[in-house]
Amino acid sequence: MEITKKTENLVTVLCLKGRLDLASGAGLKDEIKALMDKEQNLIHLNLADVDFINSSGLGVLVSIMKEIRMHKGRLTLSDLASYVQEIFEITQLSHIFEIFTSESEALTSYQSVSAN
Amino acid sequence: MSNEIEKIGALLEKLQSPDFYNREEAVNALGSCEVDEAVAGLVMALEDDDLGIRELAAEHLVKIKGDVASQLLIKFLGSEDIGSRNLASEILVKIGDGAVTALVNELENDDHDIRKFVVDILGLIKSENSAEAVSGKLNDSNINVVCSAAEALGEIGSEKSIDSLIDGYKKNEDIRLQVVEALGKIGGDKALNYLYEYLNSDDPMILFSVIDAIGITGNKKSVNHLVKFLDSDDTSIAEAAMSAIVNISIENKGTIEHDLPLDKFSSFLFDGIKNKNKKLTEFTLARLKHWYGQDVMNSLLEVLHFVDEEDLKSIVKMLGEIGPSASPAILKQFPNATSELKIIYLNIMKQYVDGDLASQLLRYNTDADPEVRRNIAFVLGASGDVSMIDHLKVMTQDKIGNVRSASYAALGWLCSENDLNFLFDGLDDRYPDVRDAAMGALVLLGSQQVVSRFFEDLSHDDTERQRLAATALGLIGDSSVVEPLLQALNHPESSIRKSAIDSLAKIREVDNVEPLMLSLNDETSGVRKSACTALVMIKGHTVIPEIKFLLDDADIWVRYHMINIIGVSEQAIYGELVKPFIDGNEDILKIAAIKALAKLGCKDFMKDISALQDDNNQDIVDAAKGAITELQEA
Repeated sequence: MEITKKTENLVTVLCLKGRLDLASGAGLKDEIKALMDKEQNLIHLNLADVDFINSSGLGVLVSIMKEIRMHKGRLTLSDLASYVQEIFEITQLSHIFEIFTSESEALTSYQSVSAN
Repeated sequence: MSNEIEKIGALLEKLQSPDFYNREEAVNALGSCEVDEAVAGLVMALEDDDLGIRELAAEHLVKIKGDVASQLLIKFLGSEDIGSRNLASEILVKIGDGAVTALVNELENDDHDIRKFVVDILGLIKSENSAEAVSGKLNDSNINVVCSAAEALGEIGSEKSIDSLIDGYKKNEDIRLQVVEALGKIGGDKALNYLYEYLNSDDPMILFSVIDAIGITGNKKSVNHLVKFLDSDDTSIAEAAMSAIVNISIENKGTIEHDLPLDKFSSFLFDGIKNKNKKLTEFTLARLKHWYGQDVMNSLLEVLHFVDEEDLKSIVKMLGEIGPSASPAILKQFPNATSELKIIYLNIMKQYVDGDLASQLLRYNTDADPEVRRNIAFVLGASGDVSMIDHLKVMTQDKIGNVRSASYAALGWLCSENDLNFLFDGLDDRYPDVRDAAMGALVLLGSQQVVSRFFEDLSHDDTERQRLAATALGLIGDSSVVEPLLQALNHPESSIRKSAIDSLAKIREVDNVEPLMLSLNDETSGVRKSACTALVMIKGHTVIPEIKFLLDDADIWVRYHMINIIGVSEQAIYGELVKPFIDGNEDILKIAAIKALAKLGCKDFMKDISALQDDNNQDIVDAAKGAITELQEA
């Protein structure tokens, strides 16, 4: 899985491409851990190009969420392909993840919170 | 000209017709004439019995905007019929600048009511050209005209009238409130300096209005003049000062830098939110990050259901960021809150809940409202605390399906292999949502043991369990499920076979495609179509020569599907496979083939496609035209 990184204000945006499973998820976990070490705890994952995710991939996302929470940070997701969305709905993980339709919508939500 | 007059005479006569359509025609015709007599006819039509005719005449008069129209309309201001008077006023306001001269001429009318109406209309027109004349009416013999003049000058907003207004303020106590209000609307340094001076007034009514007027000007430097009133013993004066500062703050995008005694105005500000006052809401919410304290937290929690959706999202997020320190206040209010508020509170706590907080919420898992219980299940699951597992297991026995479903989902976020049997029992719940939630929980667990159990379920007596097993194996999606899914291709139920193939297509990492090749000959067409898609997903377009025999399938929809799949490959070499269908008898396949050839970029067949632009079937013609354009652009 390819991970490209950019920073928008204080939010680190990771764009994922390919399959999210146990093997590729390990790289993502390392990336998140490195960000937490640098106290960059506002993370957005753009899943537009994730064409497959299995239960191990979901497990990776759950553990990332726990890690970010532990660091008092915030994790948002966006651009879920229909298949990915389906698996989030079946597992009802949409109730504990903050999911946005688009990356810009997610980034705006960071702005409105910090404005208030 | 005489012809024109004759024509208008006929139209005026027609205006008297009992027939609505005749009168309507006459009004429209008069509206297109440019002579004064026609305007007079339109004004006459304002007294028609029918509202539609009156409105039509008004519409034409507004378009004409002439002096004659204005003069004639002013006559109606003296009418005893309120309807006619109001209609004439409305038209004059719409005529706007064009009516000012005629209106100003009427300011000396003997009838003080007409003078008042004229002043009011000039105020609504807001033309600076009328400022001087209206200023003169501050000395009118009738007090109503004078008050209206002061109000109108505020609407006109011209600095030229400030001196007259100040003069009026000094000479006439009865118009002071109107003058102050007008100065606030006019704004600017000159008006503001007078308003600052009036802050020394002993009259609380005047003082209240002056503070309000200063707030309306929105000038940042005014805050220095207003802060001292925040300490006033007179609550209404203090709150007026706060309200004015709020207004100035909003006008200046919150950039005022004064340290305000917000605690003193806590009730005022939060009542503003309850009363849906936009400015007070915006101001108060913007200050919450820097305005701590248990009272503030309590007040905020009480008004959550008064704010709009966007503000609520922000507050929920913000309280989530404040985190555990928000919990004592929330937990204190929780028992007596409405269900709607409880759910908002739970959404706040869900963001930071840990085992301790989850334990404190356990007592509410029997709340009377199932929606609250459902959200409690989510919060318990979000806590990540495995000691919640047993409590959630109890909640899976709730009498309401939604609560059971949420409890199974939350278990999925916490469970381990030890809870496997419990979760599998959930697959037999009487409600499909609950069964799906239990399956979702097992998918999240996704262990080898789960895979084995689902594999066994493929042969379960209950077909629903079989369906859930095939879906779950696909969602678990790692290499360990490929073999069970390939074996499921021999399942007696076609829906299971299809579901297994769809899952393999998503997983893609399938080394042995032989069983899928065999499925191309499945007795059910839906299975054959799925197998065809799966093979292309797994092996790419190179598999097309091996599966092309489906172009001769007995089922038209399999053939249709195969043509589409070839089109998507975008490999021109497969054009020859599709081409025969554009010469065939089945229109649906003909259209699919035309579109596929366009996608494949087969320019060699442009002539054949072009010939189809004369087909009798419009859908074929449209497809052919689209394809030609696509190929030309390729």
